[in-house]
Amino acid sequence: MSPTYTRIEVSLKPGLDDSTASGFLKKIEMALPGIRKKIRSARTMDVFWAKLPLKPSSEVLAEIFQDPVLQDLNFGLKPVALPFEGVGIEKKFRPGVTDNVGKTALEAFQIVLGRSLPDAQVASGAVLWLEPEANQNLLDSDLDQVARQVFCNPLIEAHRVLKTAGTDSATRFDPAQVQKDFPEVRLEGMDVSKAVSKIRLEGLTDSQLERLSRESLWAMTLPEMQAIRTHFQALGRDPTDVEMEVLAQTWSEHCKHKIFAAEIEYQSSDPNDFPGASEIPSQVDGLFKQTILGTTKQISRPWLLSVFDDNSGILAFDEKDAFCIKVETHNSPSALDPYGGALTGIVGVNRDILGSGLGAKPIFNTNVFCVADPDYSKELPERLLHPRRILDGIRKGVEHGGNKSGIPTVNGALFFDDRYIGKPLVYCGTGGWMPRQSAGRNCELKEVEPGDRIAMVGGRIGKDGIHGATFSSLALDEGAPATAVQLGDPITQKRAADFILEARELGLYRAITDNGAGGLSSSVGEMARISSGAKMDVSRALTKYPGLKPFELVVSESQERMTLAVDPKRWDAFLELAARRGVEVSDVGTFTDSGKFEIFYGKTLVADLDLKFLHKGNPRLKLQARWKGISAQTGAKGEEASTAQLGQTLRTLLSRNTIASKEWLIRQYDHEVQARSVLKPLQQGEIGHAGSDRNTPNDAGVIQPKKDSKKGIVVGCGLNPRLSDLDAYWMAISSVDEAVRNVIAAGAEFGTEDSVIALLDNFCWPDPVSREDFCADLVRACYGLKEAALALQAPLVSGKDSMKNDYRGKLAGKDVHIAVPPTLLMTAVARVADVTKVLSADFKKPGDRVYRLGPAGENSVSLLGSEWARLHETRGKPLGPVLRPDWKQARALYSWLATNSKSNFRRHLRSLHDLSDGGLLVALSEGLFAGRLGLKILADAFPKTDLACFGEGLHGFIASIDGQTSASDLQAMQAEWKNLGIQFTEIGQVTAEPELVFGKEKLATTQDLARAFRKEGYWE
Amino acid sequence: MKVLIVCGDGINCEVETAEAFQEAGFQTQIRHLNDLIAERFDQSRLAAEFSVVALPGGFSFGDDLQSGKILALKISHGLGWDLNRFAKDGGWVLGVCNGFQALIRLGVFGRDLSIMHNASGKFLNTWVELKREGDRCLWLKGIQGLPVPIRHGEGRIVLKEGITARDLIASGTACLTYQTDPNGSAGRIAGLTDETGRILGLMPHPEAFIRAVNHPTWTRDLDPASPGLGLQIFKNAFEQMKTGKFA
Repeated sequence: MSPTYTRIEVSLKPGLDDSTASGFLKKIEMALPGIRKKIRSARTMDVFWAKLPLKPSSEVLAEIFQDPVLQDLNFGLKPVALPFEGVGIEKKFRPGVTDNVGKTALEAFQIVLGRSLPDAQVASGAVLWLEPEANQNLLDSDLDQVARQVFCNPLIEAHRVLKTAGTDSATRFDPAQVQKDFPEVRLEGMDVSKAVSKIRLEGLTDSQLERLSRESLWAMTLPEMQAIRTHFQALGRDPTDVEMEVLAQTWSEHCKHKIFAAEIEYQSSDPNDFPGASEIPSQVDGLFKQTILGTTKQISRPWLLSVFDDNSGILAFDEKDAFCIKVETHNSPSALDPYGGALTGIVGVNRDILGSGLGAKPIFNTNVFCVADPDYSKELPERLLHPRRILDGIRKGVEHGGNKSGIPTVNGALFFDDRYIGKPLVYCGTGGWMPRQSAGRNCELKEVEPGDRIAMVGGRIGKDGIHGATFSSLALDEGAPATAVQLGDPITQKRAADFILEARELGLYRAITDNGAGGLSSSVGEMARISSGAKMDVSRALTKYPGLKPFELVVSESQERMTLAVDPKRWDAFLELAARRGVEVSDVGTFTDSGKFEIFYGKTLVADLDLKFLHKGNPRLKLQARWKGISAQTGAKGEEASTAQLGQTLRTLLSRNTIASKEWLIRQYDHEVQARSVLKPLQQGEIGHAGSDRNTPNDAGVIQPKKDSKKGIVVGCGLNPRLSDLDAYWMAISSVDEAVRNVIAAGAEFGTEDSVIALLDNFCWPDPVSREDFCADLVRACYGLKEAALALQAPLVSGKDSMKNDYRGKLAGKDVHIAVPPTLLMTAVARVADVTKVLSADFKKPGDRVYRLGPAGENSVSLLGSEWARLHETRGKPLGPVLRPDWKQARALYSWLATNSKSNFRRHLRSLHDLSDGGLLVALSEGLFAGRLGLKILADAFPKTDLACFGEGLHGFIASIDGQTSASDLQAMQAEWKNLGIQFTEIGQVTAEPELVFGKEKLATTQDLARAFRKEGYWE
Repeated sequence: MKVLIVCGDGINCEVETAEAFQEAGFQTQIRHLNDLIAERFDQSRLAAEFSVVALPGGFSFGDDLQSGKILALKISHGLGWDLNRFAKDGGWVLGVCNGFQALIRLGVFGRDLSIMHNASGKFLNTWVELKREGDRCLWLKGIQGLPVPIRHGEGRIVLKEGITARDLIASGTACLTYQTDPNGSAGRIAGLTDETGRILGLMPHPEAFIRAVNHPTWTRDLDPASPGLGLQIFKNAFEQMKTGKFA
């Protein structure tokens, strides 16, 4: 029976305002102001193309697609008038791109018709109708620009122009036309004998080998290609394309971390180096082993259940439960399709959690974006999207990924630097929760027995995401393949996640991992190491459409898939539960102990790889690193500034993109779902007024994961790429210290053997292979990280590196290379001893005394690498000292402030905030906003210099102490600080009058400062 | 007194909803929609086995087509529940956020109103102060105002032409309003009830304010060990059912 094709249009009733259309108008205004002037108004319309076995009745269509109070429905019977005469841009997904709305519409047909519709399909799209201003004409070229720059992403969406008047309104409903418009993947039927090819490496010259690797998008180096040739020479045969793809994926930088395993020759000629840095060896035998793993081994704690072996680090929470955490990056895909890239990033790291140990439940998300200035007005290099569009897209991607999955986004950061124009950095993190024992097994363990079935669970395989792993290991150039972009589907994944956690409790599977980069090749290839072999038939994998080649089935990175090892005895029960939960399972083979990774397509063997060669056969990389010493001039900067100057600088700093309020972003994320929230990203002074100026940013997010335990989890981050330009060693120390200070401020445990506090490292680097200086930065960052983590006794439990954050392309016809600044995101996660002792960052009451705690006096802060320095173009001028850490004081102070503090005086604290971006006056101002309070700074509290007021440093906090505290307690507390070697400065007193006063002079009113901080109307 | 809490297909607040009901004294069962359909868990079984049905918050079917829409289609086609009938027979119904949207799509509050995108076009997570309207809704006994979080992108109640928010408030159908205007909802309506007062649908999340530490200003002005005010809604239902006092 031949299918019928129907076009369905759904539009809001003309009387209702269309906020989606208003949103697009705003974006057109920002991107294409000239065209915006020609447009009077806009409306949007949803479009569906349905391919069904029978013609749907009007009643069925109305039931599915129309809400009679809100919408008009048009499927060609009678035209529906638009509120204006104009033109429209219609968009739909390109064939093969994930279409979540289309999938849901198909489910709706199945629900309403009461049966499954195996060959039916529904595609979704949208129209943006534009009404021109009187006497204005919207040219086709205008519409094309609106489509490309605002409405569509041409990489994944096709568009065309529609007219409201004229003939096409009738013809677009004609079934023959609808069939033509239907975005369907049509691949040729496949002949297996031709679908697999042999790759001849024999007799190729070095340059031919390199070219073959490049053109096949394998991203393998010459020594790697040579190693493969030697291996297959010994076997007496040529490799197949499937084998080459599996090797390329397994050996990719993304999966194998070759740079972190490399032998590095490190040279330094810096007589004034950090004492710790001068001990870096000249031959580094693998940075990961020496610094990251080495640190954790040295600290070694009983609550570290699993580190670096699994998809995330797993930590004990108490006797019964454990939590885990992972942070990923998704930079290259986000450069091409910000929405899809970020969405895939967040649902991807959720799967890491789901695939940790026996499977954990995601309980919070974090996200950090590094992008160029949203006001970037210079010409953009080819193929790059404007930063405002990037930011808008990644924001929406994380919003959909987190909100739709029911996972609260509890912490994050935004950092701006124009060098992120070539590659934006998108960090996505997730925390998970699991019982320490599930169905009688330890939850952190992964076991696979020979004979276990290999189950692929969740989504289906398509061409999307082919070469993702190898692609992310390449610099972004003009040949980037469109298939590298994928769109996540949070709902399919949510269903799969619910099913998996249920199956875990029933003991229905033995091991689990996620399908991320490298697809089945990676997930099965990795799990095969546990049983020592795997045999799979990829022709049995469910696909989105027919015609995929064996190698595509093996390396496709189509989303929402998990790979599980299932005991054959539990197989039927496993399938039965999956069917009841509406989750698809592909039975793709069995784990073996053959020592081989064997891949079949039907009966044909398409890959037969030795596991040892696959996982250990890649030659080791050798790198050169050279450090020339700090380039900036150091020294004092101490001229007295006038109060007016200080007030002006303060307001300017508060409105810097990196410092200014992120409320516009934070409130579009659900940060409270699961109802465990204790400390939110913003501290409000009153409720009921979103967008009011009464918000103080908190330092970290806190949740209370168990309703019957007062213990909590706190997560925060530290990031300071500004210092990378001076010295990556310092940068790493600063990032670790800031991350730890953030979680201390919000209630972390610290300072005892059983204080649960851990770190995650995420490196996003410009290519260290091609440049000795970037490589030296990497070495120094790793050793700086080691020094800080050891000093603070915070083990590293998980991490990820992304080493090719370079753009190579053309700007105005000329070749350009844009490298991101070496960027290290440190995430700190800790247990909170008692959530009722958590402090927020805002000052509470008039009369409370404000202290600065931590290193004081000369050499405690510097303007080098500060936001102040960014604001003032000060190349070459001395801006202050290079700061040295004072770990002894830091440990004493952090222990005193922690929620497991032994001090009897901590109870007098009313607020706690770390001193970071923008320095002292910025931190003090932020504390005023929530309570709309004021502060009177003592005239001699600190000098009125830029250095003292805006310098940034290590280890510092702003604390406020209950004004009712007795004089004797105050004295005893100060004596305790002195005894412990904790420096403190009394700053002043909180006042009811909402203004910031320094001595006798007013710097600014709280309202002025809050207004600067909010940057009203700037963000979208 | 047993509560049926529906889950599956992207619903995601089932655990905290169950905990809130338990905290108030109820026994709860979280059941997957597909299991209920497979077991043909129809109206008579529902009424026989449960005193309360809760549709929790979440993103059923990804909010695709319209929020709560496909969930409503699945409940009406797959289970054939008539929740108005269930309430008339003495049952209690709670729909929060996405569950509320599904109740609206099911027509539980009549066909003269609907719900759509916030006026801002944006998802919004913030705390709001609610005000009780009228005294028909039994879930709200003794509650005058209530601070609660909202977390939604589609919370704007829209009324059919000729109907006003004042009519709905006067008739008792609109039982909760926002003190401020977070989403452009007609008459700032935040929650609706049925004729019996035993059905409550609302956009804000009372189950997310069970403990004082959930409140955004607790570090300033609340005793962190005290319970959250959101719990009162669940306790109200429990107390009235226990004493059999259906006002």
